[in-house]
Amino acid sequence: MASRPTVTIIGADGKATGATEVLPKVFGAPIRPDIVQHVHTGMAKNKRQPYSVSEKAGHQTSAESWGTGRAVARIPRVSGGGTHRAGQAAFGNMCRSGRMFAPTKIWRKWHIKINQGQKRFATASALAASAVTPLLMARGHQVATVPEVPLVVDSASFSGAAYAKTAAALALLQAVGAGADVEKAKQSKKLRAGKGKMRGRRHRQRRGPLVVYSPAVDGKELVKGFRNIPGVETSPVDALNLLQLAPGGHLGRFIVWTSAAIKELDSVYDSKQGFALPSNVVSQSDLTRLINSSEIQTVLNGPKGEARTKRGHVQKKNPLKNKQIMLRQNPYASTFAKEHLGEVKANNGKPTPLSAAFKELHKEI
Amino acid sequence: MSFSNVSSDLIWEITRNQNSFLVKAKDCAGGVQFSRDPYNLTNQHSRTHAGFVNDKALSIVANEKGGVKVTSKKAGASNKPASGVSTVTFGNTTARKTYKNVARLAAKNHYRPDLRAAAVSRASAIRASQRTPKADPEKKLRGNAAKKAASA
Amino acid sequence: MVSAKKHVPIVKKHTKKFSRHQSDRFKCVKANWRKPKGIDNRVRRRFKGQAVMPGIGYGSNKKTRHMMPSGHKAFLVSNVKDIELLLMHNKTFAAEIAHNVSSRKRIDIIARAKQLSVKVTNSKAKVTTEV
Repeated sequence: MASRPTVTIIGADGKATGATEVLPKVFGAPIRPDIVQHVHTGMAKNKRQPYSVSEKAGHQTSAESWGTGRAVARIPRVSGGGTHRAGQAAFGNMCRSGRMFAPTKIWRKWHIKINQGQKRFATASALAASAVTPLLMARGHQVATVPEVPLVVDSASFSGAAYAKTAAALALLQAVGAGADVEKAKQSKKLRAGKGKMRGRRHRQRRGPLVVYSPAVDGKELVKGFRNIPGVETSPVDALNLLQLAPGGHLGRFIVWTSAAIKELDSVYDSKQGFALPSNVVSQSDLTRLINSSEIQTVLNGPKGEARTKRGHVQKKNPLKNKQIMLRQNPYASTFAKEHLGEVKANNGKPTPLSAAFKELHKEI
Repeated sequence: MSFSNVSSDLIWEITRNQNSFLVKAKDCAGGVQFSRDPYNLTNQHSRTHAGFVNDKALSIVANEKGGVKVTSKKAGASNKPASGVSTVTFGNTTARKTYKNVARLAAKNHYRPDLRAAAVSRASAIRASQRTPKADPEKKLRGNAAKKAASA
Repeated sequence: MVSAKKHVPIVKKHTKKFSRHQSDRFKCVKANWRKPKGIDNRVRRRFKGQAVMPGIGYGSNKKTRHMMPSGHKAFLVSNVKDIELLLMHNKTFAAEIAHNVSSRKRIDIIARAKQLSVKVTNSKAKVTTEV
């Protein structure tokens, strides 16, 4: 790569400041939805808390099987008498007030270990995808008003805890063209379907932009400003999280960078020891350009056969109805038709009588 | 595109199974897949018509004051969503002029000649939808009701 | 209301329901098709005079599959946004308003469908009142 692409820095008023920043190398990482999805499924499981049914559930009875010979199933039955419960089946998962099938245990494998290299690969991939406008749109972000992707806002405006207030933070997002996405996230808050409502997951809503900042330069006050805007999340640049970069495992989160954060991103990746940014297996992923490249065009064989090849046995054509087919099979047909040979009567005159000389000769023999 | 790690082919492969524009008919219409993408002229979910994927694409929508509004993407400006499009409006002119202009926009300078027919037919469909629809013909009475009406 | 595109005639190779073997004899055996699996089953062995079993050969022509007699395919819509999808397809698809759409919203959907000349299969449902 001869010259690395740059990105313009947007001021707090939404206009370009004129300054540009070289895009960090991580934006050139391969975009691999398969890896991101795999890592995401693992990571999403790491916040779970163990749950299980009571160890004793369904077993708090002294039921014994009646054995065979009593014309009932051999399922354990509650002993005793004097109550309806006596004689009822117990324990089995098919029984009323029996235990469930395979009772859940707290020692289920709740958390998944993911290799660090894979996690870093996935994060790099998700970051690269966040700079691709079509992927942002495919994720559902409203980016039509955004001046540039990736969206980098000048860190100068963040100085002195300028966005410690939500009103200021919201105004900034609206000024840089992220207002539509915030509004969409805000409007999307709906009641969750099902029992999750009573389990601390009452609402579901879309994700808005993610604000990535540099804690050293921009300070941490902005977190307070942004945290109450629905759908908006913040993340320090040195602790980027795949769950925020690719929610649901879907690539292309809309990220609002501060200029300090994007400047710092290269050093963040340089400081990760033993990790080199993944490189692309295919350096040119544009199929059309690949096919039309001179390297490929020179080794291609020319087209075989005529420009118009005769089709094989596609459909049988009737030569009596289709003149061209008739001519193909019988070239004489044209002459036959032209000279109206079909209409010429065979000369049906009487055969010429035999000459007298012949008769004479015949008689002699 | 900023880096060479992305191309519209790659984006299509990533997004073809699931994206925010895709509408899958589950148990109806034979599982047809439509797309809500504004840059999709036929609303079909396909590589050719997936406008958000392609560098060059057309969006034809109804203009509020009649006529059609055609937005085209500027090639190579996909990382500038706000400024990377140009919009032309064809107001209430004749149909022929509108189609000519739309066709020219689609095919001029080899922009997307393959979309020309789709663009014109979309413009036509939008124009047709802007006309006030005809009132339904009055229902003819049948059976007993017809007999009753005839005798009355 | 626009009529459908010209199409090859719709042929249904089997119009009767395939009902489960012996569903006529027992109340507890529902008519929903289940393939008989028994070793001696005469339906499974395709004896003469027995009920026919469904098979791939009864499938409709791909060109007319899912087609209504009008020649349209029914596309389920729940709102006006859904009906906009059919703008370019009013000759192949007809809209069918989902059952849980209120009559107030149905009116909007039907009005928009009329502008786009999209056929609505259930345009009378929930919006007309009996006199």
